[in-house]
Amino acid sequence: MPEPRWGFLIVAYLFLGGMSAGLFFVSALATYLEDGRGAAYSRVARVGALLAPWPVSLGSGLLVFDLGHWFRFYKLFVTFQWHSPMSIGAWLLAGFSGITLAAFWAWLPETTLPWLVRRLPKRLRFLSFVDHPSRGRWRRPLAMAGLPFSIGVGIYTGVLLGAVQARPFWNTNLVAQMFLFSALSSGCAVLILALGASREGLDHSDAKLLYSLDITLLVLELFIVLPYVIHGKLSPLSVQRALDLILGGPFTVAFWGVFFTLGLVLPLAIELWEMRPVLLNRAPLHPGRLLAGVSAALVLVGGFTLRYVFVSAGQMSTFQ
Amino acid sequence: MRERLGIKRRRYALAVDARKCINCKACVVACKAENDVPLGRFRNRINEESGGAFPRLRASFEPEQCHHCASPSCVRVCPTGASYQRSDGLVLVEGDDCIGCGYCIIACPYDARFFNEQTRIVEKCTMCAHRVDAGKPPACVETCPTRVRVFGDLADSGSEVRHLLDSRRSHVKQPETGNGPHIHYLD
Repeated sequence: MPEPRWGFLIVAYLFLGGMSAGLFFVSALATYLEDGRGAAYSRVARVGALLAPWPVSLGSGLLVFDLGHWFRFYKLFVTFQWHSPMSIGAWLLAGFSGITLAAFWAWLPETTLPWLVRRLPKRLRFLSFVDHPSRGRWRRPLAMAGLPFSIGVGIYTGVLLGAVQARPFWNTNLVAQMFLFSALSSGCAVLILALGASREGLDHSDAKLLYSLDITLLVLELFIVLPYVIHGKLSPLSVQRALDLILGGPFTVAFWGVFFTLGLVLPLAIELWEMRPVLLNRAPLHPGRLLAGVSAALVLVGGFTLRYVFVSAGQMSTFQ
Repeated sequence: MRERLGIKRRRYALAVDARKCINCKACVVACKAENDVPLGRFRNRINEESGGAFPRLRASFEPEQCHHCASPSCVRVCPTGASYQRSDGLVLVEGDDCIGCGYCIIACPYDARFFNEQTRIVEKCTMCAHRVDAGKPPACVETCPTRVRVFGDLADSGSEVRHLLDSRRSHVKQPETGNGPHIHYLD
């Protein structure tokens, strides 16, 4: 059995990159959703855009420090290897990071930039151009440009693993979809946590949007995880043996106990329970802070565990 | 162009007669000495397998190293192009371009690559390309006392390796990965 080359830093990066992809995806979606009076979910759009650049920046930092020579990371950007998922991912990540930073700038509250500019030392005053009066106009084009990048960043982490034919545990396209839906769902979870923790709390319409999205994404994830296991068990022997790592092997508890039960089924059940006034009576949704926080935190625990199990178990699986 | 001029492209490969292997590990030591392989790391190895019940016992030894595949998955996944394949089939790593991401280590179905903690880059069997280019056989081939490994050019109809593969049955390991490995184990 080979010793694992990718460890905690890679797991953390896959999780944080996915989280940013989810945050931006939901924010961009909310930027475009309107009711009769204009933007219907501007708080979701703003908080999502303000949070999106940071997890991916931290994750990319971890990724660079996982390299043998961290200062050689620039070599990723002096070439483009179309056949390498990592090369494609590096460029996607660079584009996504740039767009999320631009969206962050476009969504900063009206008062923040003038306040910052006033505090700049004289020599740096030329930077005052960042407080551009029409920066708000960039929000919609940036949301449009960033949507494909956010989906790309969310899905490529799964492609990165799935494209390795030497590791039967990974070598199916279902891993890419699983990682994508888990990433988008973790973005929803962070927004539920952030808005729930704010002074105003999570209001009815924002909660309805985030819960509806998260329930949809968790259900999609559920219906990819189960076919992944069934399909794997009906695959060639190497894949069946690789699946034993989560079916009685060392990752069984992490996968079924932590990821599947605590991180997928339980938050789905809690969110459906919270949504029942909307689903059954079309009544307004009044989410409990505690339950909302618990279900969102569980989604994040599930997202991290999913990546931990896949990165670790995948490296242990080999052709027999 | 080469084909038009009638110059055949070389295709280096190994034929391995594992039944001749006595597990003396001279090839492992020769490789370490020739290529300055760090302590605790190996570019080639001997897989040991034993079974049966006393008094009917068996033990078999199977030398293995990089298979210098026809479509190497390590080269495909490398994000910087540091892993590459020469026109003669040898799969090598350009150390200056390797960022040490480890993707190729994971992508190799034969676990032929490792991360060198001292140089902080990925290393593997080069089939002693520096010796091959000088007209000498790889160190593991030259040192083997029972002549388990036969190295040569498959494109050369007069080579010993071509002769062996034409005249004896052989198999490659895990052909289902699609890598097209070029260590041919004689049956």
